[in-house]
Amino acid sequence: MTTTVLMEVSALEAAHLTDLVAQFVELLADALDGGDDPAVARLVPDGYRGDPEAAAEFRRLTQDDLLDRRRDDAATVLTTLQRDGVVLRPADLDRAEAESSLEIELDAGALSAWLRTLTAIRLVMATRLGITADDDEDDDDPRFGVYNWLGFRLEGLLRAIED
Amino acid sequence: MTIPLEDVRLDERTVTAGPWEVVVWNDPVNLMSYVVHVFRTYFGFPRAHAERLMLLVHHEGHAVVAEGAREQMELHVQAMHDFGLWATVRKAGA
Repeated sequence: MTTTVLMEVSALEAAHLTDLVAQFVELLADALDGGDDPAVARLVPDGYRGDPEAAAEFRRLTQDDLLDRRRDDAATVLTTLQRDGVVLRPADLDRAEAESSLEIELDAGALSAWLRTLTAIRLVMATRLGITADDDEDDDDPRFGVYNWLGFRLEGLLRAIED
Repeated sequence: MTIPLEDVRLDERTVTAGPWEVVVWNDPVNLMSYVVHVFRTYFGFPRAHAERLMLLVHHEGHAVVAEGAREQMELHVQAMHDFGLWATVRKAGA
């Protein structure tokens, strides 16, 4: 297994992903403030089934750590998405810039942060989209395009690790 | 009060505090390749074993991936949650 991966994305993709991860960080901040968003709840699921007391105790002990780690991972992803230290925003890019490509080098730590973050955002989106079975998909909803694109990038990273 | 000796079961603790399991549950979101990756990197399972467990999760809805002391199993479950997989702790044989 390789531990350093080079990923090529367009500046536009990087800018959209930056926007998505930034939204995710805001969700986490709300959750750490005591919010009870069901999409965030999926990131800290029950550790016991059919035993609400044990599940509550387990959540009390693990929830903040898990959410802190999601936030740290997301921060790592955002850093790697910058171009020459500049945060990319979709609205700032003209057409030529949008199509220009960005090479992102991920070491083992950053790679792990990417895998976890893409997965966590997909879990949040799945709750928002009401995906509860393998074939739940509405082609007319553009959010599914984003959801599948995250899956495509995740799959690509996993393949790169295996190589 | 004296407890008759024959009522004292020294092996009771091993009966009530037997081994615990980590169960990983299927979900429609996580990619099969990702689940295999998690099983390989976290548990150190060989690829074939990780793939077998992933397929069990996918087709049967769940799979037992570890067995041992309760505290250790809780650490594994927290690690699975950290990866975005849904796992729970339960008493073995439940």
